[in-house]
Amino acid sequence: MLAYATRRILATIPLLFVGTFLVYVMTAQVANPLSRLATCNTCDQSAYDRIINLYDLDTPSPVRYFKWVGNLVTGDLGISTSQGETPINDFFWERAWNSAIIAIPAFILIAVLALVLGVYSAIRQYKASDYAITGLAFLGIAFPTFFLGLVLQVFWGDWWQDWTGTKPFFITQKHDDTFKELVQSATLPVITLATVFIATESRFGRASMLEVVNSDYIRTARAKGLSERRIIFRHALRNAMIPIVTLWALDFAALLGGSVITESVFAWPGIGPLFLTALGSQDLNLMMAIVVFSSILAIGFNLIADLFYAVLDPRIRYD
Amino acid sequence: MTDVREQAATTAPGDVGSVQFDLEAEGLSIEAKSFGRQTWDRFRRHKLALVAGFLLVTIIVMFWVGPSFSSYAYDQPNIPDRSKGPSLDHPFGTDPLGRDMFVRVLRGGRISIRIAVVVAIVSTTLGTLLGAIAGFFGKWVDLLISQLINLFLIMPALIILFVFAIRYGNEINSVSILLGFLLWVNIARIVRGQMLQLKEQEFVQAARAAGAGSFRIITRHLLPNVVGPIVVQATLIVGTAIILESTLAFLGLGVTPPDTSLGVLINDGKGFLRDRPSAALIPGGFIVLIVLCINFLGDGLRDAFDPTSRRVRE
Repeated sequence: MLAYATRRILATIPLLFVGTFLVYVMTAQVANPLSRLATCNTCDQSAYDRIINLYDLDTPSPVRYFKWVGNLVTGDLGISTSQGETPINDFFWERAWNSAIIAIPAFILIAVLALVLGVYSAIRQYKASDYAITGLAFLGIAFPTFFLGLVLQVFWGDWWQDWTGTKPFFITQKHDDTFKELVQSATLPVITLATVFIATESRFGRASMLEVVNSDYIRTARAKGLSERRIIFRHALRNAMIPIVTLWALDFAALLGGSVITESVFAWPGIGPLFLTALGSQDLNLMMAIVVFSSILAIGFNLIADLFYAVLDPRIRYD
Repeated sequence: MTDVREQAATTAPGDVGSVQFDLEAEGLSIEAKSFGRQTWDRFRRHKLALVAGFLLVTIIVMFWVGPSFSSYAYDQPNIPDRSKGPSLDHPFGTDPLGRDMFVRVLRGGRISIRIAVVVAIVSTTLGTLLGAIAGFFGKWVDLLISQLINLFLIMPALIILFVFAIRYGNEINSVSILLGFLLWVNIARIVRGQMLQLKEQEFVQAARAAGAGSFRIITRHLLPNVVGPIVVQATLIVGTAIILESTLAFLGLGVTPPDTSLGVLINDGKGFLRDRPSAALIPGGFIVLIVLCINFLGDGLRDAFDPTSRRVRE
């Protein structure tokens, strides 16, 4: 198992290298930390020299990439141009934690609801409840995330307040003076974040469950006279879970990596808005830090999912 | 056997001789049906998909012919009439420059649909081509294309879009082609998987024995077998692209004014959600409606193209 995990990690390294190299060189073409000085009238040559030294602009970008990799290995993410020339390590992890604050509840919501809805609509195939769940799922998929965020803000944050005279949710910022405030301000972002995932994944869960339910060994189980409950939970669900677990892993990685849209709509100080700032001001180091962070999350969780297969399906062995 | 056939042709279908049985309900038929006809027959039974398709066509027709029934133009400001709510004269109200929102929504819908269709065409073509090549030739070609697919999966699309926008600006045609280049991965994976399965079957060997070259085998023998999944996926990409376009507009990478798209309209309207929610909710509602129809349509097509789904609905 350990050997398998090591092999898997080693196999992804070349891809990670090529990916980050391309992003680095491509972005270095358009990112120019000197552009901030273009409108500065009092700046002389020394100001330029200082920035050229700070970001090593004299060396060509492919060479700079290898220096950057060297620093990365020692845990140094470099200096951010857009955040006042501060080291990225100083503020990055707080942002990552903020993203996690909404990502973790959203993930729990997604995992539970999508599984329950998917399985339920599979075992009630072509019944009214299946059509209702399918319809809702399609509706959830059809909403662009930012539009859903806006609609939730209008209905919940604005109109609700008019009707009831109280403001049930802080809607446009993170408030964390007390735990209650944190829950209130995180509610709408979590709902927005979870909706699209729940919608797509309940469909996926349904398809996966249907495939299993229609297979021969389930018919055998029925013929043996097992109770329906036992068939669904003990026999069918375990196999249907295998593809679902992969999806969970990918989702959790994506959620932890910060969501650009949801966090921006609700002004949540996570990684998403930071990424937008980095893009908007062509902050190369910050951009790369986020790219590497989210790729490592994706690779790591993918691996965990693969190892988890062995738990669900004893036939799968890694050696 | 032949006289049963003749009889069936002269009498009402399902009434074969003196034996009464409902052929249609069994999903059986005496006449041989072409692939297209079979698909259409199965699709027709999917009532929801039929309604969705009809609604979608209606909306698209409205987007294209609607503006000619209005006396306003999408880029004609009229300051005295600015920021009005819905009225008889302006069914969807006006924007802060006094432009008629009804005409602007239609114009925006037109642009959104156009972008989405270009994206679907580009990504489907590219994905089918690369997926077919990877699946059919295998070996190092497959390895190369599979790694390319993985690379596209880890490269953040936003960075590519931003870098592109900074260098070349965000003109709609180039943005839609770029989006197409970013979305080919899914189709490529599906086509590749199907190809891997199909190429081992006997009819491919038979074709090869008859002297057919690789190109002919791929285009004449293998791809027709994958048409179903490709069409379904292409349909769904149209929906994805509409959502993606609106998301880009939200991030400020949308169509440049005075031209507009549904996403740009929502983005413009979000500033005064409280006073005039219609400005954002109407274009948003159109996006939801269009994508909903497309997904139901895709669902119906999936069932229709699947020869194993012979069940009769309702």
